[in-house]
Amino acid sequence: MALSEIEEFERLLFDWEDGTLDTTGIGRLRDLLRQNPEVRQRYVERQVFGAVLRLDADAGISAATTGLSETAAVCSPERLHETLTLTGTIDDKSDGITTLHDSGNVVEGWNRRHTGILLGAAASILLCVALGRWLVVESRLKSAVQNRVLAGTGQLEKQEATSVGIALVTRLVDVTWQESEKQFMVGDPLPAGVVGLESGVAQIEFFCGATVILEGPARLMLESSTVARLQSGRLRAQVPPAARGFQVHVDQLKVVDLGTEFGIEVNEGQADVHVFDGEVELHQPNGEQRLVVAGNAVTHAASGVLETSKLTPDKFLGLEGLDDRVRNQKQSRYERWLEHSMELRKDPRVITYYSMEQDRYWKRKLASSVIPGNRDLDGAIVGAKRVVGRWPQKSGIEFKRPGDRVRVNIPGQFGSLTFACWVKIDSLDRWYNSLFLTDSYQRGEPHWQILDTGQLFFSVRLGEGRGKGHHKVLSPPFWNASMSGRWLHLATTYDVETKTTTHFLNGEKLHEERIPDELFVEQTRFGKATIGNWSSPTRPEADFAIRNLNGSMDEFVLFHGALTNHEIRNLFVQGSP
Amino acid sequence: MSDTEQTEFFVQQLAECQGRLFGYIYSMLGEHSRAMDVVQETNLVLWRKKEDFREGAPFVPWALGIARFQVLAHVRDQGRDRCLLDSELVAALSLQTEQQVDQLESMRIALRQCMSDLPREKIEMIHLRYYRSMPIAEIAKAMGRRTDAVKVALLRLRRVLADCMQRRMLEG
Repeated sequence: MALSEIEEFERLLFDWEDGTLDTTGIGRLRDLLRQNPEVRQRYVERQVFGAVLRLDADAGISAATTGLSETAAVCSPERLHETLTLTGTIDDKSDGITTLHDSGNVVEGWNRRHTGILLGAAASILLCVALGRWLVVESRLKSAVQNRVLAGTGQLEKQEATSVGIALVTRLVDVTWQESEKQFMVGDPLPAGVVGLESGVAQIEFFCGATVILEGPARLMLESSTVARLQSGRLRAQVPPAARGFQVHVDQLKVVDLGTEFGIEVNEGQADVHVFDGEVELHQPNGEQRLVVAGNAVTHAASGVLETSKLTPDKFLGLEGLDDRVRNQKQSRYERWLEHSMELRKDPRVITYYSMEQDRYWKRKLASSVIPGNRDLDGAIVGAKRVVGRWPQKSGIEFKRPGDRVRVNIPGQFGSLTFACWVKIDSLDRWYNSLFLTDSYQRGEPHWQILDTGQLFFSVRLGEGRGKGHHKVLSPPFWNASMSGRWLHLATTYDVETKTTTHFLNGEKLHEERIPDELFVEQTRFGKATIGNWSSPTRPEADFAIRNLNGSMDEFVLFHGALTNHEIRNLFVQGSP
Repeated sequence: MSDTEQTEFFVQQLAECQGRLFGYIYSMLGEHSRAMDVVQETNLVLWRKKEDFREGAPFVPWALGIARFQVLAHVRDQGRDRCLLDSELVAALSLQTEQQVDQLESMRIALRQCMSDLPREKIEMIHLRYYRSMPIAEIAKAMGRRTDAVKVALLRLRRVLADCMQRRMLEG
């Protein structure tokens, strides 16, 4: 009687765990394990489940909802790491030595035992540093879960943002970066270091409140949130009263702002300082100070001589001038995208394509852009609103409420696939946040979505049964709250030749994973599916089916065939707002 | 790869497989604090043997192989009185368990969802049993309920959660 033996086994195991099983019972338990393979299977399942429970029962949800003490809840190594990282008991000292100071926990225990053996070895430091790095990833994962539950969110992120950045990149026009220096995107925080422009214009806002427009070719060394050093090129600074005291250094010369607008140009050791409004103080290397008031300009020669010169405000691009250039750039980027999009519509590999370009705002139909046209591929917008897309010239679709979605029906059978879309995520509210989900999730049907942990998720359904359902390919977390409201390009390829799934963010490979042979499906299909949510009318738990994205989508394309890394990169480049 | 890079890579692999090591060892020993001890011992051995690890070879099977030896040593030292599994059963169950812990991360995601659906009282019960390793009798006392009632409730709860987890793992 296999069933009753399983039942008996469950009870015996439970008592054994509780420490209340007698010798006869233990003997019986061992016999059952020896004799019955089903019992062995159940044992493995139960024990691994028990391990998962102990590792993860405290993932933030339970403690937050019950109000039980977190400290008692800690028993997984990850959890301990996380706790230590969050509470700041793991310090990454600036001299590169990482120390742990907390008591009664695994991490330290582990570390202590090791340092006994590896005493003085640099390896132990490295070990801690590497562990620490891993912990940050782990704790980000967990904190995403906690943010969902706890009211006080994003504390960790706020701390990180201020510690890494002293300024923000707010606008970039036609920028090419100096090859030796880092590249940035609009919205990126800037740490201390060099911003090197080969050409183009960057608007940088310092956390103190000063705004700098840097015209390439130029090199600006950011030293702190109130001090920058212009190594070469031209900048214009606008400094509101709140940011008074902002300084730009050129060699030994310090230009200290007293609430104003000024320009500096550095050329072969010579610095020209132009004051357009208010006044600035020049601190010379010899200790002398000189006040320069609005409407005046001075030249500081390489020799150290300071002379009055002619004011040329037009030479320095101001905020208004930049506005025009931004508008022009937007128009030309939009046109570049449009041209690319027109080609894409004719690509024979495109299964379906929603450019969201030609639609009118009031229409509830999402027209397929594929050429030759096929009206059957048009999607139906349910609930979701039309909003401005990447450019004011075109629309996007916003998913906000639990019911918002776009319904599509895609016939046919395929092999390799590529998914790509532009998406602006406001927040990840659901366990699963849909990009594209097939309705019933039968054999060969893909699911493409984002977990609340910020991980991109792709799977193709294989079949029913334990461990046989599908193989999930999860990227590392790519999203956090600081990226909220930014347009991102996401893509995933499913290559049946190499049995590989690859995730991409903004044209760069995020993660690649080979699918085990036993979980691999060669033939793919879609049928009825939903963009931005999940429609599963047969599912009894209606609450689970809420997978609406909280954010907007602008352009969605599905190919048969796996695009190359280069092609994905091109989709990103041609579509960048 | 330089030595530093190699060490760094090794540590990263080691850190990443902590969950699976714990999963395997806990499954074999069934008792939390002893499992933690063996995890520590295994980490130590892995660290000492890191020169043996061939670059490019899969890390997890190698680490689990060493964990198996550590479990067997522990079972041998502690004897039948303290361990449920003897070395024969450890050998018989290892392969299956190693396969099962491969899915540990997906299981964690799935279980997380199942846990969030539970009412407060049930979460509390899980909390006492699995975080604090409190004996059933004490949980019953703390909750003002009868021991056998708590036992039945916990058994059922564990089954419900395990089923829910399996179900969610099948869902995309």
